Amino acid sequence: MHTTKLYVGILLMAAFASCQKNDSAPPVIDEDVNLGGGTSISGTFINSFQQPAANLNTQQLDLHRAADVAFGDIFVTAPNEINPGLGPVFNQNSCENCHVANGKSPFPANSGELRGLLMRLSVPGSGIHGEPVPVPGFGGQLQTRAVFGKSPEGTLSWQTVEQIVQYLDGEEVSLRKINFSIDNPYETWPANVLLSPRIAPAVIGLGLLEAIDPSDILALADESDLNGDGISGKANMVWNVEQNQSQLGRFGWKAGQPTLKQQSAAAYNDDMGITNPYFPKESCTGQAQHDGQTDDPEIDESTLLAATFYAQSLGVPRRRNWDNPEVMMGKQLFSKIACADCHHPGFITGPHPEFDFLSFQIIYPYTDMLLHDMGADLADNRPDFLATGNEWRTPPLWGIGLVETVGGHSNFLHDGRARSLEEAILWHGGEAENSREEFKKLNKQDRLALIRFLESL
Amino acid sequence: MTNTILKISTLCTLLFLTACDKSTIEQPEDYQPILTNLGTNVILKTYEDLFNQTEILVQTLSALESNPNDVNLESARQAWRDARRPWEQSEGFLFGPVDQQGLDPAIDSWPVNQPDLEAVLNSPNTLTKEYIDGLDGTLKGFHTIEYLIFGTNSSKLVSDFTTRQFEYLTACAESLHGATQSLYYSWNPSQQNFIRNILQAGQSGNSIYPSQKSALEELLIGLITIADEVANGKINDPLSQQNASLEESRFSANSKQDFADNIRSIQNVYIGEYGTTQGPGLSVVIASKSSTLDTKVNAEILAAINAIESIPGTFTHAIFNETSSVIEAQNKVRNLQLTLESEVLPIISNL
Repeated sequence: MHTTKLYVGILLMAAFASCQKNDSAPPVIDEDVNLGGGTSISGTFINSFQQPAANLNTQQLDLHRAADVAFGDIFVTAPNEINPGLGPVFNQNSCENCHVANGKSPFPANSGELRGLLMRLSVPGSGIHGEPVPVPGFGGQLQTRAVFGKSPEGTLSWQTVEQIVQYLDGEEVSLRKINFSIDNPYETWPANVLLSPRIAPAVIGLGLLEAIDPSDILALADESDLNGDGISGKANMVWNVEQNQSQLGRFGWKAGQPTLKQQSAAAYNDDMGITNPYFPKESCTGQAQHDGQTDDPEIDESTLLAATFYAQSLGVPRRRNWDNPEVMMGKQLFSKIACADCHHPGFITGPHPEFDFLSFQIIYPYTDMLLHDMGADLADNRPDFLATGNEWRTPPLWGIGLVETVGGHSNFLHDGRARSLEEAILWHGGEAENSREEFKKLNKQDRLALIRFLESL
Repeated sequence: MTNTILKISTLCTLLFLTACDKSTIEQPEDYQPILTNLGTNVILKTYEDLFNQTEILVQTLSALESNPNDVNLESARQAWRDARRPWEQSEGFLFGPVDQQGLDPAIDSWPVNQPDLEAVLNSPNTLTKEYIDGLDGTLKGFHTIEYLIFGTNSSKLVSDFTTRQFEYLTACAESLHGATQSLYYSWNPSQQNFIRNILQAGQSGNSIYPSQKSALEELLIGLITIADEVANGKINDPLSQQNASLEESRFSANSKQDFADNIRSIQNVYIGEYGTTQGPGLSVVIASKSSTLDTKVNAEILAAINAIESIPGTFTHAIFNETSSVIEAQNKVRNLQLTLESEVLPIISNL
């Protein structure tokens, strides 16, 4: 009966709203409708994450289109005439084949087709700049594919375990936990290897996140929880290879990369085996399967910059249904149960050194860009610079309501274990445990409202 | 419950009508006939055609393997061209399962991984459909088959083929046919029924399109995307870099046909026709707002197809020797892209 009431309410609102067209007063809109500031684009469709930012000038739009080609380029084995350099070991052969339609990768249906899932590796300790220590013979990532004649470093398999969570009102939800194993290693698997499964995220809004002034992020940090709210918030400080110095980490599930350019360069190198000006050595250098070729770097600076610019210049979809009463209620609950304390709604970007369309934008990414202890159940137990084995960077929520539209799935979290937004919320632990417990106390109507709010992002 | 909702809907519609000044009422348009026609008679038919044509490709390559002769080679080459046509005509709607199920890489990866292909052919591995299915996209699909049946300079003779190549081709065509079957079945209403998202756009429970308008936007953006790719990628890359190896269907000298079929893909969705089936397309929406613009779009589609087909000789030849014709074709496609983007899209977005 309640849904019927709501239905009437919505229709009445629609009827009411339709009469206001002739009114002179502008409609009141929620402040965060344009999630990506001036870059924001409209529309709810599968291609939503593939639209150029709305505020590009003609020249930037041309550049974006040219850059789109680099993002889609498929690499093959050297010495092929076109796009040589793939591998010898790799995870995927193009940017686009992990970030399908620029969206978040699904959890794979089977271990033969991993799509955008990969496994980071290290041994305990940290390197001279604080980075994870590569595994002898395997490096920092398990490359699960290889060019013909070479062996994949290993394959991935997994078992799922269901665990039941109960709301205060008695309703139950089953959560899927995934236990991974490494099979068929190409050489003896060493002891003490730390594993961190990672799912390819959506690539929208990244230029804007890069343009947030570091001081605005650091101002949110409260590493010792001086305000006693149970939430610390810690900046990761990571190594900038180009500038040869430590810098605020922003990208990756643990904020292990300082810039989008370095993130892209690392992905070329680790994910595709493509050497580049940033990372001129093959990912398997020093290992038995190194190709011994002297063709490095396999892409030049301009290709690296193009792939980077493509991600920087995508538009962020506007919120939908923001004026729906249920969504508006959900938004209030989102703040009330302190989700917004880590999923920090808004920033004004600083001056971007290169691109005016990213500068001084009022944005609502719903992330504080900081690391938080998310509890033992989500932990990968693999440190990454200052991020401990329990810590993850708050992922941005803009576009989260379009993940299913764009990708045809609703898998969330770093390893894609959650099968819905609801499951993702229920996995939150550690600093987010209080919020999760508050969520579990909500009645069904309120829980749904909060999820409707997320779907509007 | 349905009855209750119906009654409430009627009540609300009445409220809707009475609450507003008559001059402000705009009857919401029903785009169902357009969506039904484009989903059923254009998209699904194109994929069905692709599925059928790749089956013929399997048959001709199997015949070539059994009886390697000039006639069978030409049949196989023609079957490749015939299968290529519906694929290129599907590139105006490259969204949904083709991406989400990873089918595009299995069907149309480019370039061919020539070093690995040689290595596989020289290996003792048994060449079955299942084996090819497990290979990287750059070792299967249209372009690998093209490379093997046409050779690199259009002069490959039956006697130039090895037994392993014949085996590889048959298995590779079977794998391609399997991928096109997955694609067709994913849309087919009696299989995975992805088409329902288009047919039921705006209906409750539709997890993709909250409105008919959003489905129309998807369809239009698909057209803009392929116009962009033809003008600024497929034509521009080999032309601007004066490098024929960047040409997508160079081995078969089929590039002009590919490009024209890409524009026909735009035409099919715009006017709502595929083959002998026809019905309302996006044109109906545009014509109702501006018949001038509708006429312009139709004319620019034809101009683009004509300009591409009027390029003298092969595209490989033309990028070096007929650059003005190639630039002319590129400009016609760009005109179409610009019109779709700056004039048609605003109309659809403001429905």
